[in-house]
Amino acid sequence: MPIADAGIMYGLLAVGAGLATGLAGIGAGVGEQGIGAAVVGVVAEEPGFLGKGLFLMLLPETLIIFGLAVSLILMFAWTPFSALL
Amino acid sequence: MLRPVEMDRVVVAGSKDVMAPVIDRLHELRLLHLVNYSGGEASFEMGKPIGNAKEYSEDLIKLRSLARYLDVKNKVPDKTFSESEILSQKDDLLNSVGTEATSTFERITAIDAEVKSKQDQAKALAPLAALPLPLDEYYGYESLAVFVGTVATPVDADVARVSPTNDIFSGSTKTKTVVAVFVPAEKAGDVSSVLAEHGFSEISVPKLSGSVDSAMATLESDIKSLEGEKAPLQKKLKDMNKKYEDLVLATDEYLSIQIQKTEAPLRFATTENAFVIDGWLPSDQFGKLKSDIESAAGGKVHVEKLADKEAEDLTEHGEDVPTKINNPSLVRPYELITRLYAVPEYKEFDPSLLIFIFFPIMFGMILGDIGYGIMTIFAVLLLKKKFRTPGWQSLINIVLIASVWSIIFGAFFGEIFGPLGLWGKIMGQLPEHQIEILKTSGMYFGEGVYGSLGRLGPLGVFPMDRLATNAVLMLIGISIFIGVLHCGVGSILGIKTELNYGEKRHAYFERLPVLLFQVFFAVLLLGLVMGQMIMVYVGAIVLVISIVMAVMGPEGPMGLAHLPSHISNLISYLRLLAIGLASVGLAFAANQLGFYVIMPMLSGGAESPTIPAIIAGILVLFVVHFINMLLGILSPFMHPLRLHYVEMFTKFYSAHGGGVEYSPFGHVRRFLKV
Repeated sequence: MPIADAGIMYGLLAVGAGLATGLAGIGAGVGEQGIGAAVVGVVAEEPGFLGKGLFLMLLPETLIIFGLAVSLILMFAWTPFSALL
Repeated sequence: MLRPVEMDRVVVAGSKDVMAPVIDRLHELRLLHLVNYSGGEASFEMGKPIGNAKEYSEDLIKLRSLARYLDVKNKVPDKTFSESEILSQKDDLLNSVGTEATSTFERITAIDAEVKSKQDQAKALAPLAALPLPLDEYYGYESLAVFVGTVATPVDADVARVSPTNDIFSGSTKTKTVVAVFVPAEKAGDVSSVLAEHGFSEISVPKLSGSVDSAMATLESDIKSLEGEKAPLQKKLKDMNKKYEDLVLATDEYLSIQIQKTEAPLRFATTENAFVIDGWLPSDQFGKLKSDIESAAGGKVHVEKLADKEAEDLTEHGEDVPTKINNPSLVRPYELITRLYAVPEYKEFDPSLLIFIFFPIMFGMILGDIGYGIMTIFAVLLLKKKFRTPGWQSLINIVLIASVWSIIFGAFFGEIFGPLGLWGKIMGQLPEHQIEILKTSGMYFGEGVYGSLGRLGPLGVFPMDRLATNAVLMLIGISIFIGVLHCGVGSILGIKTELNYGEKRHAYFERLPVLLFQVFFAVLLLGLVMGQMIMVYVGAIVLVISIVMAVMGPEGPMGLAHLPSHISNLISYLRLLAIGLASVGLAFAANQLGFYVIMPMLSGGAESPTIPAIIAGILVLFVVHFINMLLGILSPFMHPLRLHYVEMFTKFYSAHGGGVEYSPFGHVRRFLKV
């Protein structure tokens, strides 16, 4: 079904962008939850582990950046997409 | 700078009569990183402590407990002592002062315990006030069982059913019903189960006499007098702390040094008449060490530097070469970030200098606001006076340098507490017809925002508006470019590190393909964006070559599994733009909200604002900007940190395990005069 109205198109893009960042954020959060708990436990035992723990804890953060990259493309570089329809 | 200081392996051998002066001298020099003798050679055995090590240890234990009683914390020295001063005051400090502090501290502990027990008694007594009995009637029976406690429902009838002979008193406080049940001892079991059905919870009656009220009054006055006794004792400890603090810390230092010296032979290899000390020291210090030790020992010692070949042999057999990181003072704070991750190995690179270059730029690019930058500098300068430990000082210096960059980027982005649009007013708006031209060429991005990258400014580029579409697109490009540069430098260091270890295959077929892949992936993208097909072709060809190289490498086809992560490494740098946008967005929203409340005429509302509206507007501005600034310091710090740890360090760091920090035999004298 072709979407004729550019306003609706833009609205849908915005919803998609929101979902992309939001869901990626949830994913990253779930990932970090477990790692964070484990890292706090290890650091309590051995403070020297802080740097490596931080490194591990920040690994899933890349996920949300992917979501955000998708959002940015949708919001700021959407013109190519409209041409596809 | 990028490499740790060059080290030499040294052996000191001498006659045992000069061991004590040699140890003294070594301790003073603080140059030799000792290698512990681990046994294994038939003719050598581990040395024994010299002098009275035991006495010093005992003194140190006494002193540490005194320090605990006086609540002495490590701090910046107010005055320093000479060793003779310490020696003359040490016994007095450990014995008479120590006894006094101990007895005072123990009395305070006893008072605390007594107050606690009296408070518990008073708490138990409070509900009993509802009953008419004096306290001595609750205990001292042989044939009677007594139950005192609170119940949820009346118990009289049920108790009478199991034990016809009984005496029950009940009363109620504000919240609960209190009962005292007296029954013959043989019925105790039955009654207890009946009471349990009524939600009985027992109160243990303190063994006191007289009425409840008078007992309560006595307890309270006792507590008061105990507290009264405690206050001057605490003051006494505090005064003692003030008086002896520096002396305690200085004595601690003195004793630690003595113990270090007396126990040093445990780390040496000795024979009946001689000793051998192994260690590492910076190459340029060898001459000083040799002449100093030889003069201290009167020639009865031999100091020798091992040849490179022999030293290499030792390291191959598991001896760690200590790493001495050496950087100019401006870069030194960033060693904190390096150490937090791991101390580099001797053959690896020390990335502090690179962190010094990249970290503040990344921080600045994310925060990028003149107002926030200045506020951060003020906040950090205040903290700098307050937190004087080296760790905090490094952290504060890191943020200080980063804030300067955020002011510079703030000028690029034209942001002072959010995008105020000030620059448009300063630079003047474009004439109408030029806007039309911009519009037709697709270069117009909204009111006050023009030029190919946002607003017009010096060079036709800055200050730009980070929220404008093209600025976002350009910042995406810049972020990726910084990523390629950052990862590329990491990869180059990785190649050199592998070569230092002599692993040519790893260098050229594991590290190099990553570098080629990332750089030419970026070239390909750039070619696509700019429409330069030649760049696309070159990029694609080199990408294929790099993939082939990775497959030929030590990991074989498994090397292909890393390809997605090379791309995601680069995408990860988008956070430089993204986090910044989030904080600009928040600041923009705060300004919009605040200014429209303060100045309703902007949005076509009332002609003049009311006073409550002004207060509310200022409050909104203050609170939101404050929160934004707190987040704005935290996340621009954490995320570049992550970019270093995850994206860059993994390219070259610790592929061979963490290093050992150079810690020469000796002690920093802080409270003792040198």
